[in-house]
Amino acid sequence: MLALQPHIAVAQHYDELYGADGLPRPQYAPLAATLGRLERDEILARVQAINTALLQRGVTFTVYADAAGTERVFPFDIIPRILTAPEWARIERGIQQRVRAINAFLYDVYHAERILREKRVPRELVYSSRNYNREMIDVDVPRDVYIHVSGIDLIRAEDGEFLVLEDNCRTPSGISYVLENRDVLKRGFPDLFRNYAVCPVDDYPSRLLDVLRYVAPHQSTEPNVVVLTPGIYNSAYFEHSLLARRMGVELVEGRDLIVVDNAVFLKTTSGLERVDVIYRRIDDDFLDPLYFIADSALGVTGLMNAYRAGNVAIANAIGTGVGDDKAIYRFVPEMIRFYLDEEPLLRNVPTFDCTDPIERRHVLANLDKLVVKNTNASGGYGMLMGPYAASEERERFKDLIGSNPRDFIAQPVIELSSSPTIVEANMVARRVDLRPFALYGRSVDVPPAALTRVALTEGSLVVNSSQGGGSKDTWVLQC
Amino acid sequence: MLSRVAESFFWLGRNVERAETISRILDVNYTRAMDLHSQRDGRSERLWRSVMHCAGFVSVPKVPLNGKAASDCFGYCAFDTENPTSIVSAVRIARMNALSIRSELTIEVWEVINVLYLYVAEQSLRSVLREGPSKFLRRVRDAMQGFAGISDATLSHGDGWNFLQVGRYLERAYMTARVLEAIDVENEPWHESQRLLEMCCAAVPFAQASHRSPEARDALAFIVLSQNFPRSLRFCTREVDAALHRLSRTPEGTFGNDAERHLGKLRARFDYTPIDGVLEDGVRAFATDLVREYEDLSSYVEDGYFPRLPVPV
Repeated sequence: MLALQPHIAVAQHYDELYGADGLPRPQYAPLAATLGRLERDEILARVQAINTALLQRGVTFTVYADAAGTERVFPFDIIPRILTAPEWARIERGIQQRVRAINAFLYDVYHAERILREKRVPRELVYSSRNYNREMIDVDVPRDVYIHVSGIDLIRAEDGEFLVLEDNCRTPSGISYVLENRDVLKRGFPDLFRNYAVCPVDDYPSRLLDVLRYVAPHQSTEPNVVVLTPGIYNSAYFEHSLLARRMGVELVEGRDLIVVDNAVFLKTTSGLERVDVIYRRIDDDFLDPLYFIADSALGVTGLMNAYRAGNVAIANAIGTGVGDDKAIYRFVPEMIRFYLDEEPLLRNVPTFDCTDPIERRHVLANLDKLVVKNTNASGGYGMLMGPYAASEERERFKDLIGSNPRDFIAQPVIELSSSPTIVEANMVARRVDLRPFALYGRSVDVPPAALTRVALTEGSLVVNSSQGGGSKDTWVLQC
Repeated sequence: MLSRVAESFFWLGRNVERAETISRILDVNYTRAMDLHSQRDGRSERLWRSVMHCAGFVSVPKVPLNGKAASDCFGYCAFDTENPTSIVSAVRIARMNALSIRSELTIEVWEVINVLYLYVAEQSLRSVLREGPSKFLRRVRDAMQGFAGISDATLSHGDGWNFLQVGRYLERAYMTARVLEAIDVENEPWHESQRLLEMCCAAVPFAQASHRSPEARDALAFIVLSQNFPRSLRFCTREVDAALHRLSRTPEGTFGNDAERHLGKLRARFDYTPIDGVLEDGVRAFATDLVREYEDLSSYVEDGYFPRLPVPV
């Protein structure tokens, strides 16, 4: 068997598998027993077979920093992460509440601005958000849904409570790994599933399709839904193609679409064909060269006019980035109180606002203890892990914060929970987060298909795939 | 179906067929060249020049007479990334096209291309020549023939598959025409007919159909006019025609676009000309004319089905 390296019995943080007494938590006991019965060499051989399968299937992402544009397998760890039914129920309710509030906020900032007029969220913070989109003011989006698909990143604090680390309301990715991880684990390690009733994940595409059909304008009986991708060189292309294939809809690029008389059409071998709903995986800035980046070749000329005319639904809506701006994040609990008249079920991580002079002074004085994040970046880019950064790096951020305070927030370093992970043929503890996905149609649906990302570097707290992270299959137990 | 998707199916079909054909041509000639190697009469160099011609090198360069002909030509046809018709290029282009229509393909179809791509990317000219190229060429051929079978067996035979058929049979006809153009039956009738049949994978079907050892005229008639042999020009042309008519839903024997009109004339040529008439002006002239015909046909298909629609002002 694989011996677990001397574990963090006295660790400050929470371990997913082992309780404070050093024994497996009850929900992990059968899994630990099965793993214990497997020979080390057999585990490693099966892991190798899974990696080969992932490569052959093309479950890969493109590393932008790599000049060769290398496709890499997103590292997959075979030891699953387990969430009990009560744990998941709490997460599900918390996310439904949060997503409803953010959606209401988006409707509000593009219409009556109640929350700004009542000064519950600072007006200048919204207007200065890079992703606040003036073109969307007074535009009515189909069914008032802005964030059809979101991914809310959670971490588990020392006491076992889940906290929200950040919201992703634009084009969150990762669901394809959830689907593929489950499939390869079932084939490679069927014995691990013994004694468990795990919620299936494979109906995610049909649940997504339900949402996309629901928001179709004109209520046509057979709305034509397409997935819009930047193309084969995009890092998430595999996911785009998988979702299109599993939903049975066309995967299109900008050049496949044309706008005629404010309606969107596909260019097909038998002429033009009307499009009703676009699930786009392209950022706002590239969607329509008439409105946004003029030389973008990824988008569709005239798309924004068709959208504003109500002739096509776009998911997610344009301008949702103001809802996941990291400087606005700390007002989400306030949104929940304001729009829903409820108390937040999931807590935020304490966050310092660098535009506030007092808080900025605190941040600058404590850079060695804080995590600094760019308010508009994602994917783990543009961030400073204060305690681990070189002093030059901290100095560089000091200057950046001083000159552009609106672009940065700071948070205390949170000790993410850990989970046993196989690294270089040994079982070691590595830090994990959790990204459940929410689908907003008739109501907010949180499928039991969440992504667990794992920081494969020892001691690292950064789980992003672009920063050397991997993933695990995530089991939501049925009871 | 999306025009871009149709175009990817077409080029996928063409490049899969190309990789398969080039690998067979190399296999046949590499083994044949070993018989000629010791001879100083230039036959080995002539052989490799003809291979280069099949592989699309139009202005055939002087093949070096230093005994390196085999490895140089093999390298150019198999591993040269600058040569768009080399095996590595064809596999790469096929895989790119498969990737861009990945959501239209079954997992089985995608994997056969992707697995071959990953294999080819790991090979080098040096390592392949050291162990003898047969294993490498066989692997390419097996994967591509596997692709043909798996795509027939797992894809719906709708528009995408029909564009795949158009690409596959157009490329096959085109490559057969190039092989005909490259051989020299006038000077070496027996050897060259035998080589022709092997390069077209036709030795056994020909023997079964004619019950005798190959003679130039019979072998040529078989490769050009056979009704049933799936690599004859007549057969391939008929398949392209049928796939295009299934796409346009125009009845066979009539035409609805330039590609179909062009094909009708080409089919009539095979249907109503005896072999002596076909060869009146010599095999090479005949083949050169056909190479151009298939190039025109490809342009008609591309112009007819894959134009970028104009953006409104």
